[in-house]
Amino acid sequence: MGVDREGGVRHRSGRAVVFAACGVVLLAGCASMPDSGDLRNVESTPRQDTGVRVFAMPPAEDAEPSEIMQGFLEALTSDDPQYDTARKYLTADAARVWRPERSATVLANGPSVVPDREPAGRETTGSLSYVLTGSRVATVDAQQAYAPADGPFRKKVHLTKDAKSGQWRIDSLPQGVVMGKTDFQRNYMSVNKYYFASGPTVGTTGQPVAVADPVFVRSKVDAMTQVVRSLLSGPTHWLGPVVRSSFPTGTALQKGVSGLTPDDRNTLTVPLNADASRVGQAKCTEMATQLLFTLRNLTPTLDSVELQGPGGRLLCELNEQDAESAAWQASAQRPQNLYFLDGKHRLVRLSTGDPTPATLPVPGPLGEGAKELQSVAVSRDEHTVAGVGADGRSLYVTSLASGGSLGDPVVSSQGARPEDRLTRPSWDAAGDLWVADRNPDAQKLYVLKQGAGKPVQVTLPSLPGRIQDVRVAADGVRVAIVVEKDGKQSLLIGRIENEGKPGESPSVLDLHSAAPDLEQVTAMSWAGDSRLLVVGVEQGGVHQMRYVQVDGSTIDGPAPAALSGVKAIAAAEDDRVPLVACSEDGIVRLPSGAQWQKVDKDGTAPVYPG
Amino acid sequence: MAGDSAASAPGRSGTRPERPVGRQGADPGRGRLFEGGLLQGGVQGSPVLRLFMRWVRRPLLPVMRLWRRNIQLRVVATTLLMSLGVVLLLGFVVIGQVRNGLLDAKVKASQSQATGGFAVAKQKADDEAASGGAGGATGSGDAAADADGRQSQSVIQWMSDLVESLSSGGAGAFDVVTLPVGDDSGGGRSPRGSGNVSPTDSVPGDLRERISDSTTAAQSYTRIVYKDGKESQPALVIGKQVNDPNGHPYELYYLFPLTQEEKSLSLVKGTLATAGLFVVVLLGAIAWLVVRQVVTPVRMAAGIAERLSAGRLQERMKVTGEDDIARLGEAFNKMAQNLQVKIQQLEDLSRMQRRFVSDVSHELRTPLTTVRMAADVIHEAREDFDPVTARSAELLADQLDRFESLLADLLEISRFDAGAAALEAEPIDLREVVRRVVGGAAPLAERKGSRVRIVGDQQPVVAEADARRVERVLRNLVVNAVEHGEGKDVVVKLAAAGGAVAVAVRDYGVGLKPGEATRVFSRFWRADPARARTTGGTGLGLSIALEDARLHGGWLQAWGEPGGGSQFRLTLPRTADEPLRGSPIPLEPKDSRRNRGLAAAGPARGGEEKRATVPVQPGGGQAPPLPAHAAIAPHLASVTPAVDPSALPGSGARVVPRPTGGTRHPGEPPAHGPGTDTYDARPDADGRKDPSEPGEAFRGR
Repeated sequence: MGVDREGGVRHRSGRAVVFAACGVVLLAGCASMPDSGDLRNVESTPRQDTGVRVFAMPPAEDAEPSEIMQGFLEALTSDDPQYDTARKYLTADAARVWRPERSATVLANGPSVVPDREPAGRETTGSLSYVLTGSRVATVDAQQAYAPADGPFRKKVHLTKDAKSGQWRIDSLPQGVVMGKTDFQRNYMSVNKYYFASGPTVGTTGQPVAVADPVFVRSKVDAMTQVVRSLLSGPTHWLGPVVRSSFPTGTALQKGVSGLTPDDRNTLTVPLNADASRVGQAKCTEMATQLLFTLRNLTPTLDSVELQGPGGRLLCELNEQDAESAAWQASAQRPQNLYFLDGKHRLVRLSTGDPTPATLPVPGPLGEGAKELQSVAVSRDEHTVAGVGADGRSLYVTSLASGGSLGDPVVSSQGARPEDRLTRPSWDAAGDLWVADRNPDAQKLYVLKQGAGKPVQVTLPSLPGRIQDVRVAADGVRVAIVVEKDGKQSLLIGRIENEGKPGESPSVLDLHSAAPDLEQVTAMSWAGDSRLLVVGVEQGGVHQMRYVQVDGSTIDGPAPAALSGVKAIAAAEDDRVPLVACSEDGIVRLPSGAQWQKVDKDGTAPVYPG
Repeated sequence: MAGDSAASAPGRSGTRPERPVGRQGADPGRGRLFEGGLLQGGVQGSPVLRLFMRWVRRPLLPVMRLWRRNIQLRVVATTLLMSLGVVLLLGFVVIGQVRNGLLDAKVKASQSQATGGFAVAKQKADDEAASGGAGGATGSGDAAADADGRQSQSVIQWMSDLVESLSSGGAGAFDVVTLPVGDDSGGGRSPRGSGNVSPTDSVPGDLRERISDSTTAAQSYTRIVYKDGKESQPALVIGKQVNDPNGHPYELYYLFPLTQEEKSLSLVKGTLATAGLFVVVLLGAIAWLVVRQVVTPVRMAAGIAERLSAGRLQERMKVTGEDDIARLGEAFNKMAQNLQVKIQQLEDLSRMQRRFVSDVSHELRTPLTTVRMAADVIHEAREDFDPVTARSAELLADQLDRFESLLADLLEISRFDAGAAALEAEPIDLREVVRRVVGGAAPLAERKGSRVRIVGDQQPVVAEADARRVERVLRNLVVNAVEHGEGKDVVVKLAAAGGAVAVAVRDYGVGLKPGEATRVFSRFWRADPARARTTGGTGLGLSIALEDARLHGGWLQAWGEPGGGSQFRLTLPRTADEPLRGSPIPLEPKDSRRNRGLAAAGPARGGEEKRATVPVQPGGGQAPPLPAHAAIAPHLASVTPAVDPSALPGSGARVVPRPTGGTRHPGEPPAHGPGTDTYDARPDADGRKDPSEPGEAFRGR
């Protein structure tokens, strides 16, 4: 019995010790920083907008004419949705006819206000003129399409003194708004609208090919609604002939709709008017695809869109996966492999998904080094490869399957020197192969339908020099051409029109400069739906690698890390795929968030499919 | 003392006037509850207010009661309050210190940041002015000086760029705002702000005035208002007037949100609040525990003391340890022990005395019988004696009668003392008893020449009572009234009301002197010893009557005024066990001299005054030199309650007659006094020397 009780006591004291120990451990846990546990998701907090905002102020009482001018120009840089404050600087008549959305003129340093020299004595009548001057950089038209421009800007603005109130007001002014370059960058943003190429479809699936149509919208004034309106109103003039919109004519947002924002499921509901409600389901899916592609460009977190007809009726709903199967978008295609020629002139490939990939020779004749090549292009389905022989004289097309043979050249050039012969070929999404002959006597651009058959010559407009390089965009309706003249290369973007009827030769039209400030363009590659990666020299600058927009505007984002001696670059439309360049150090690549890494010392001609 | 009410009424009849039967007054104990005046003021207001106050007060009453009674609660509450005060004070001091420290650091850092920013802004303006001038000189024409020499260089973009570059250094850490000098739209300039700050709302007006008046930097606290609906937050704003490239001044402000400081401060606040709460609660708990250690023994002592005072003298405190509480307990126990011993001694003494009286009375009966027979023989043969001897024989016979009745009374009273008296109650009609008594007293009345009248006997006056005892009481009262009535009429009044019946015997004789109303019930007390011999009363009659009344649960009270007669009132409950609450007959008769005077003067004066206004009469004239055995009465009476009836020897039925002293010579000391008390008290036991003797001594036990 005594033993029992002793045991009980020992038991109890043992428990007390255990409790005390637990307490001490708990307290110790509270008193130091945790070094394990508490695993959970981090909610993304939106980046704080540090952008500068100009708060437009209405004109002060009895403001001087110069103050009126100053205030008006400042109001133009504000994010006043309808420029209501700016209109307060105008007379009633001028305010009625002034259309700020008609155009935007971008000046290098902002407009300077110079009093117009008028005959003496006129000022006493309560009338005064100013001249806005500056050097033009670009203009944005009524369709919000950007176009680089140059030359001086000089517009007259006339002020009158209101007889009744005695206030100075602007009564005559140019249409549109005018602002400096950095103000433009602060207030506007570039957004790709997506339409479908009217001609080509993807060879294997028949999907329509999405074509990006970049426009500039005011970033702080309900950008999403602006973009939707712009999309509904159709493609820009330049792209219009080669793309189609799936929205029926007259489709618009319902009256009074503004402030479109995704809900908490990341779904955007777009109410459309009656014109859109009569379409079939397939058409509606295409419409939603256009919207989703366009708006994901603006808010990448958007998951799906819902189209609503009048009365809140659901027309159709589309999420990201459906959109990708409904249409072919270049930036959504992730290339499987990177291809390049190794030191033994074999075509080798490198998986892009693998972080530490091994180079493997491709199957087929090119992987065995059957022919020494200068450049290659792999079709977008990675089934076919086109290669230009080492002398640039012949273009071969062969399969990537093993056991094939090289066959005969499909295109040959008669150029005298190697650099006067064939350019690097390129494929579009439809499976057509494009290649240019640089022969100065007979400068030609060929297209091979499905990479086979007889090469069709493409009608070229008069070029301001010799073709150096040609890359067709994935959508097959735009082509980037590097033209050399007097030792200076410039990058041009052209539209490929098929004239509708098969058998007729397509033509390249409406070439415009995509990088007006670059003097020498040594290498380029498409790097997005409406973006190119260019290696070039700015006026008075050094070699640099940077992105340019097809409409000629500059891109805000950072340029890739600098690399010297770049001879060729390869970029995919999907920006998750690392950049690859051929430099002094051989093939190097740039995974996102890292530095340039060497891939192959002796390799040349790196390409992604396309 | 006209209004001297006395005798056996239980309760507080001595301190308040009699009330008629049937209505119970408010409990005066309740009125005392708020004598402190806490809610007294409200009680005197309007009835509505009074109701409201009562409504408010009712739930508070238990709390107040607990508060008054519970020292532990008081100590804990006080500790809680004081520690709360201390914690609050400390908290404010600490929070103030932390706030000042945080602000100091923030202000210093912000000032250096802002100063740097102002320098950068100035530098940029100078650079721009220089390059712009150069550009104009080269002939591009963009930014040339106009004919007036005024610079018209575009600053719109420059200023936006400036704000952007200044604010890009500290996304989230600060925001930059420019404002035109002067009013809101001065010079056509627009305000600019980074980070969605609303410039005009965020910069306080007095700071703007200060900035526009001087060229030095100034700072102020403000609230940043955001344009995009973000919650506004406190901030430090530092501003300075700077020139743009055209040489025009503008105001540049740096806004430093104090969000982090606010968070730190609220962390400190939260920590302090939590810690403070814990401290207060823990201090309260500690105080509770500590006070419990002290209060528990005190409560125990209080409980034990209560039980001791209730008579359970054997109770003791449990004493453990050697601390102060233990010493208290020991001392307490010692005190209780001593008290018990002393009381035991006193009880023993008292019991011995009573047994002695009882035994003596009893033992005296046997010799008395013999003496009686002898005396009868002598008395029969007195005619053969010479006159002197015959006279002696007569005297002997008289005094033997007295002696016998005295012995009988003594035995009776010792039976009461022993608690051996038993009540044989049955419903009786008091009218019959009264008639019997009046009939019995008729010869005496006739001899005295007075008439006894009965009033109020129209209806039966029935009560549960012991007829024999009631008759004895009434006979005593009536005989007394006739004897002291001086030949005037005696009125016996009957009444019944409520739960009580009453018989009052009124005489118009010499009455009672002040203080005598209480003393008439004392044993062996005589109003006029000189006249006692004529009636041969034993001096114990009223004492026995009082005991009889008490046995019924009733009252026997006396009232009298000198020369105005007296009235004795017997009040009995209608049923035996019912407590009495009042009497149907007022103790002071309506025809008292005072009432008659009052009736003449008007009914204004209250009953409370009567005792105070009636002067104490000098006793010289009427005070008999012969003292009654008054001194023994208080002694006996005061001891009696403490006596355990069971401690009396036997059943109390065997009572020995008690000898009385000095029958013939009043000045002579008694042969067998009950002790030195009686002996010493005798010379001054004339009643008036002891006016403070409380009537309460006779009342209920």
